[in-house]
Amino acid sequence: MFGQLKLILIGIMLIGATGGIAYVYKLKADNAVLKENQIKLEEAVNEQQQVIAQQKEDFDKILQTNKELNNLTQVLQQDLDRLDDKFNKTNASGKKRDIGDLANARPSSVEKIINRATGNAIRCVEIAMGSPLTEKEINATKKSEINSECPSIANPSYVPHN
Amino acid sequence: MKSILNVLVLLTLLTFLITSCSRGVDRIETVKVEVKREPLNLEKPPIPKQEELNWIIINSENAEEVFKKLEEKGTDPVLFGLTDDEYEDLAVNFAQIRNYIIQQNFVIDKYKEYYESEETNGTD
Repeated sequence: MFGQLKLILIGIMLIGATGGIAYVYKLKADNAVLKENQIKLEEAVNEQQQVIAQQKEDFDKILQTNKELNNLTQVLQQDLDRLDDKFNKTNASGKKRDIGDLANARPSSVEKIINRATGNAIRCVEIAMGSPLTEKEINATKKSEINSECPSIANPSYVPHN
Repeated sequence: MKSILNVLVLLTLLTFLITSCSRGVDRIETVKVEVKREPLNLEKPPIPKQEELNWIIINSENAEEVFKKLEEKGTDPVLFGLTDDEYEDLAVNFAQIRNYIIQQNFVIDKYKEYYESEETNGTD
């Protein structure tokens, strides 16, 4: 009777030890997986940080491009305003310029002026379409040298004095 | 003695069974799929050559002289006219079209730079 009880106890102890060993192995395996998961999560966090940095960079680029586009629009509007001023300039005596009156009085002189202006305007369109600037256009700094129709795009060295 | 052995075998099996039932930690599986996008790389259209234009100003006094000159040149003695105000409007329209082309070109260049620059080239 005592011998049988002893045997059962030994058996239980052995089973317990086996279970314990199996559990330790399982813990070790779990630990390895957890470590692997930790590495993967760290990688994921790192990648997310890179994505956030890229998004920030993109956002800055978008803001910068919008700013540049606004500046360009303003400069082009100034060219348009200048054109309007040319036609409706008020002289010292307060009289508004009338190109019709001028053309009626001096047709050949005005013809020369508007033909030169038309040539300049055509050149402006070529530049707008991507035609490269000539050396003369790039280096023009005086009012007499510039393309008065679109100095903002035709003469980068010219600084208008208002 | 035999029944004791049976109990031991059962207990052993039960131990393994219980150990196996406990759920382990799941492995995270991440899959990366890189989709390469070919840059569009469209060439800008060639710049068309602009023809030279020549305005002729005609008023009640010089009309005969102008038409005479046209006939001497062998050109059809006919002119397409604009009033001074319409001429101004035409000049403004022309300038607006030019500005629009400039803005459109700017936008296209910036899109190209944004989506097809070296850093972003090929991936999206």
